[in-house]
Amino acid sequence: MNIEKRILFGMMALAAVVPLVVQDQYVLHIAIMVFFFAVLASSLNLVVGYVGEFSLGHTAFLGTGAYTAAILSTQFGWPLWATIPAAGVLAALVGVVIGGLTLRLQGPFFVIVTLSFAEVMRLIADNWIGLTNGPMGIAGVPQPAFLKEAGNLAAKQFYYGIAWVLLALTLYLSYRFVNSNAGRAAVAVRENRYVAQSIGIRPLTYTMLALVLGALLSGMAGGFYAHYISFVGPEVYRFAFMASMIIMVLIGGKGTLVGPLIGALLVTFLEEYLREAKELRLSIFGLAVIAIVLFLPRGLMGFVTQRREKSGLAAPTSTTPNPTSSRRTA
Amino acid sequence: MNTATQSLSGRSLEVQGLSKSFGGIHAVKDISFDVRPGEVVGLIGPNGAGKTTCFNLITGFYAPSAGQVRFGGKDVTGMKPFQMARLGIVRSFQKTNILKSLTVFENVLTGHYLEARQPLWRTFFPDSSVREKERSVRESANRIVQVMGLSNRIDTPASALSCGELRLLEVALALAGKPEILMLDEPAAGLNSQEARAFGEILKTLRGTLVQSIVIVEHNMSLVMGVCDRVVVMHFGQKLAEGSPADIQGNAQVIEAYLGRGTQA
Repeated sequence: MNIEKRILFGMMALAAVVPLVVQDQYVLHIAIMVFFFAVLASSLNLVVGYVGEFSLGHTAFLGTGAYTAAILSTQFGWPLWATIPAAGVLAALVGVVIGGLTLRLQGPFFVIVTLSFAEVMRLIADNWIGLTNGPMGIAGVPQPAFLKEAGNLAAKQFYYGIAWVLLALTLYLSYRFVNSNAGRAAVAVRENRYVAQSIGIRPLTYTMLALVLGALLSGMAGGFYAHYISFVGPEVYRFAFMASMIIMVLIGGKGTLVGPLIGALLVTFLEEYLREAKELRLSIFGLAVIAIVLFLPRGLMGFVTQRREKSGLAAPTSTTPNPTSSRRTA
Repeated sequence: MNTATQSLSGRSLEVQGLSKSFGGIHAVKDISFDVRPGEVVGLIGPNGAGKTTCFNLITGFYAPSAGQVRFGGKDVTGMKPFQMARLGIVRSFQKTNILKSLTVFENVLTGHYLEARQPLWRTFFPDSSVREKERSVRESANRIVQVMGLSNRIDTPASALSCGELRLLEVALALAGKPEILMLDEPAAGLNSQEARAFGEILKTLRGTLVQSIVIVEHNMSLVMGVCDRVVVMHFGQKLAEGSPADIQGNAQVIEAYLGRGTQA
């Protein structure tokens, strides 16, 4: 537990000094996207890893957040610091509605219904032209005024800072949740609903809490995305975002806090690196996911902890005559 | 707080005319018994007699077709399982139900859910009272693991435990809910006679210390006769007899119900 906290602190501290060293706009853009996806993957992980149900509708929250921020800033002139929290709150409300309807379902039923919710949201965005400008999307989501004179590099650094704060907030809330009585209750519900109920846990309370927390965070990520890209269209509800999030959570390891970060880092870099390969990269990711599910069902983090546990268990019982060999395994 | 008040204010559990039918099958028919404070009551009967259904009806996993469950004079019929736990009735399951991927300690710690409950915002902004509570439930979890004799397995994942240890863990998990009445469904199933005897010794120490009353469904007769004050016998969903272990052992109907089916325990 403490190791996880230390890793998280280390990673965030390292990330905080990056813009001081790196002045390259392209690299900063990649880093911002890593943060953005890290927030998304962490929020999906709260559902997949702590409710224990696979949501394919997480883009519903992302898209709601993005549209909220875009509409509030273009039509009502709200500044960025107000639109992003508002995006989170509205997405959380959508989370309450969707959760109220879907959290009674389990397994494949939950998967299908959440997927269709995201699809319904996309159709609304496509057709409610008065509000969302339909398939044209909302272009020119305003940037903070002071960025106009500051130049491109400063703008990137500014968004880097905001993304960092969002990710820090995500990790703080997730960490608190996971390591609390509420987090234990959620895990109990995930592991065994009968046991959970027999010790006084009302399952819906905690599946709902995890889902709404995930919705809040991905809604804020959506709000951030609207300002950063300065364009929001119905594509935010498309499956591509969902696929990226799933790959990140699975590769990193669901049910851990560090896993989705590693996943976001790996997948975002790989996507950039494999840009040359065009469509082929989707196939490569597909194969990677199949391999992960088959060989590392708990993801990279699960693999690491498993190795640690094994060597930890082996160490006290091993009676190896050679002290160096036991040290190597430990 | 719970444990201190338990010994003073005892609430009894009363079951009156409880019935449940699945389609045309009367799984439980007009069962009545009560559990007084400080009592250990055994619920026995041949396989399929309706003992587990009876448990499920009392703890809210099934809704009864007829009848009433009262706890401390209050009607609690048809309450949800988590509500029954909040009232002070916690059960274990016949088919071992624990949190498999967690360690022994984490299982028992999770069982302290009700005691460690806090307002939602305190989850994200904990203060010293939350940390204090966390410390005390961890201590309590340690104590319960010790009482159940699982200390040397405390950090072992539940998935790696033996069958006997799993049964102990299940009781530990139920105890962590700090119940007034602990309901155990075949806790000694799968234990050999020596393990069952050790288990009986542990059960005897629980009454009056960690719980007030125990209701136990069990097929191991020496365990039942050893720990119970009173035994209720069920047969084909109905109550066949009730009395002290000695009475039951001498009851002709009970002997017939068991021996007639060729399942001498």
